[in-house]
Amino acid sequence: MNLTPEEEELGRRNFLKAVATTPALAALGAAAAVRGPVRGGPVRVGFVGLGGQGRVLLGETDPAYAQVRALSDINPTRLQKADEVLAKAGVPPAKHYEDWKTMLQKEDLEAVVLAVPLWMHAEVAAGCMEAGKHVLCEKMMAWDAEGCRRMLETAKKTGRLLEIGYQRFYNPIYQAAYDGIVKPGVLGDVFHARLVWHRNGPWRRKEDPPSPDFDPSRWGYPTFDHLINWRLYWKYSQGLLAELGSHQVNIANWFFGATPEAVLGSGGVYRWTNEAREVQDHVYVTFEYPHGRTAVFTSIESNAYDQYYEAYYGTKGSLILRGEAEAYLFDEGDAKKATSVEVSAKGAGPVTEASESRVADAAGRRASGSKQGIDRLLAYRNEVSEFCAAVRVAKPLRCGPDKAMGSALACIAANQAMEKKSRMTIA
Amino acid sequence: MNNKESRLQQVSLIVLRTLVGWHFLYEGFYKVIAPAWSREGVPLGRWTSAGYLKGAAAGPFAGLFHRLADSPWLDKIDLLVMVGLLLVGLSLVLGLFTQAGCLGALLLLALFYLSAIPISGTAQTGAEGAYLIVNKNLIEAAAVLVLFAFRTGRIAGLDLLRARSVAARTEAVAS
Repeated sequence: MNLTPEEEELGRRNFLKAVATTPALAALGAAAAVRGPVRGGPVRVGFVGLGGQGRVLLGETDPAYAQVRALSDINPTRLQKADEVLAKAGVPPAKHYEDWKTMLQKEDLEAVVLAVPLWMHAEVAAGCMEAGKHVLCEKMMAWDAEGCRRMLETAKKTGRLLEIGYQRFYNPIYQAAYDGIVKPGVLGDVFHARLVWHRNGPWRRKEDPPSPDFDPSRWGYPTFDHLINWRLYWKYSQGLLAELGSHQVNIANWFFGATPEAVLGSGGVYRWTNEAREVQDHVYVTFEYPHGRTAVFTSIESNAYDQYYEAYYGTKGSLILRGEAEAYLFDEGDAKKATSVEVSAKGAGPVTEASESRVADAAGRRASGSKQGIDRLLAYRNEVSEFCAAVRVAKPLRCGPDKAMGSALACIAANQAMEKKSRMTIA
Repeated sequence: MNNKESRLQQVSLIVLRTLVGWHFLYEGFYKVIAPAWSREGVPLGRWTSAGYLKGAAAGPFAGLFHRLADSPWLDKIDLLVMVGLLLVGLSLVLGLFTQAGCLGALLLLALFYLSAIPISGTAQTGAEGAYLIVNKNLIEAAAVLVLFAFRTGRIAGLDLLRARSVAARTEAVAS
């Protein structure tokens, strides 16, 4: 899906016109009952896991909302880099801990932001909630269904907040698309969604160990590569479906107002066969939703021409959300012209090394003429700020464990479908 | 009670006193509870007078107030303003030590007015309109002057109870 500059301009204008009528501040009117402020300062938070994603969230933590008291990571290099992020933000340095449990014991924290490898989500999140902390946990929710259930039940049992970090929920473009287009039915009946995340690269990180005698086996990683490239090994990861797909499936669940009932899939390690790698580098997955609706997710690591986007095709219109920064709306009336695929020159814009989901290999490039999108990082900032507001004044969470579990179970089932080469129904 | 004002005049004065009192009370309360969060989830931070002293201060005495904002006494100024607002507010709402409350209100309003006398006649930082010489601080001070002049404590409020109990005691001693 690549659009000409003219199509981009048309689609962008259609989108803005459609969402302009949404009463964006209607929610404020409902809350107009006289209620004074609530006492309290910034939320006292600790971070566990300061890899790329942890540091994005750290950098987007507004000091008015949260005071970062402590950082925990098993890799001291990551803690040093996190210090640089704090210094750049102009906030005081935080204490360092190798072990998150020690951090919880020694620090007076209210909440924890969690960005550890997927296989540790359930253990650390549940442990933090058991210790009385609210948790903002990176996506995907957990490595398996049991982990998801453990997190959900612990949140209910302890009464702690659990938010799963799907930043699209906090992205003004997605919020406007839902409120102004999806919810009022501007697209008509939507039977098909296309979820695309195409990149061209091995998805492998290159990093030196913090010291020659650094031994990650204490934490369950036989070699440093297993730690640094945990995404590529099944023990720690659910591959492309978890790291990329779950973002888009989660939004499909939101827009469809349902979770998929079954999934079909095919995929494997086709290109990076000589790499130490277990998870697929190409996946093609079909999610079946109730009422004959279907979402197709593809993620490939051999071509980045399509970049990443979600497209919703309805009987009256098409909605395309691209790169978390741009949105286009096309009326079915002029669909022949406006939604046809044409080749456009690609400009190699600056790469935003901001997210694990968006590595510098290829997907950071943007199509030409697309400078009018929003800053993707705003969504992360809103995410951390709204989580803090939930802690302080019980502002409702946008993606609590119920919602996040829907996409996690679907993505886990998709991997099973590919492994067993059969259609899997989703519990 | 041999008040000379009509019922309407009395009610008007007490309404005025209650409104001015509430204004002071809530301004004080708001500053005391900070840092706080709005119900919509926006942090409001800790209150300090430095912002007003630095940002809003204008007019002939602006320099003095600017210096106060940077002075080591800022914490004490903040505390005095917060406590002053609360006490004045309570006094006027409850009608307790009303005359003293009015004097306190006048003192605070005089400070607020003198620190930012509108002499430019254009819209000022932090104000919702354009003022020349007369702004809402000055008008509120004039209202407090009315309350002071009419001794509203003898119309309604706890001062009335105070006066009665004093009178009762005097009577008891006399008999």
